[in-house]
Amino acid sequence: MKEKRIFLKPGRNNREERMNFVEFWAEFVRTHSDKEWSRQQNNLINSLIPDVES
Amino acid sequence: MEYDVEKREIEVCKELSNLDRFALDFVEIVRKHTDYVIISGYVSILLGRSRVTEDIDMFIPKISSDVFFNMYGELEEKGFWCLNTDTNEKAFDYLKEGYAIRFAKKGESIPNFEVKFPKDELDENVFNDFVTVILSKGKIKISCLERNIAFKKYFLGSDKDIEDAHHLEKIFRGKIDYDKLNKVKELINRRKENEREKNFFETRQE
Repeated sequence: MKEKRIFLKPGRNNREERMNFVEFWAEFVRTHSDKEWSRQQNNLINSLIPDVES
Repeated sequence: MEYDVEKREIEVCKELSNLDRFALDFVEIVRKHTDYVIISGYVSILLGRSRVTEDIDMFIPKISSDVFFNMYGELEEKGFWCLNTDTNEKAFDYLKEGYAIRFAKKGESIPNFEVKFPKDELDENVFNDFVTVILSKGKIKISCLERNIAFKKYFLGSDKDIEDAHHLEKIFRGKIDYDKLNKVKELINRRKENEREKNFFETRQE
């Protein structure tokens, strides 16, 4: 199934830009599968946090 | 992500990140010894926020030294170390004195768990209305969304905290109890007022 495309509203300054992105991403999380948003989230998290399994 | 408000459960069918696996490993040990609730930034991250943190904040109730020493022993046995000290007595002293102590995997500093005792009734209330997040490989208890949002917006208040709160409000719109959130906000304001008064009198005494 094709998932709904969401558009990011540009901000007039850094703070507004960041807040708009928070809203954009929250909407993405709300409207897409957990597997899809977590795959993208893990690209960020796992690039910075090592796998600490002993 | 499904939030059952009545059951206070959120089911997340996500791919676990290295941070989630670290959290589950730690929680698996702690829960055998005492109650716990995870608060603050990791809550937003667990529920989808697009950022990283190097620490996960956790409240545990004010437990006895015996219970703490058993937990500390098992944490060491299972490959964790305390970043603040290498003795369980000193770690417990820190907690009793109101400090947070941090645990990471042996040989590592990040990610880490920041563990602390609640300092007042407002903190202690996290144990009464926690929410359970159900993941594919275990469960994690988090403070309820209203408390998380109120603390982020009205107590911590940095840009990052406001964004974390905004994320939760957007994700769970229609499911946030704003009466409850406003009550927590009032208690936070009262705490801030008390702290201001205390600082004022302490400054005058110097």
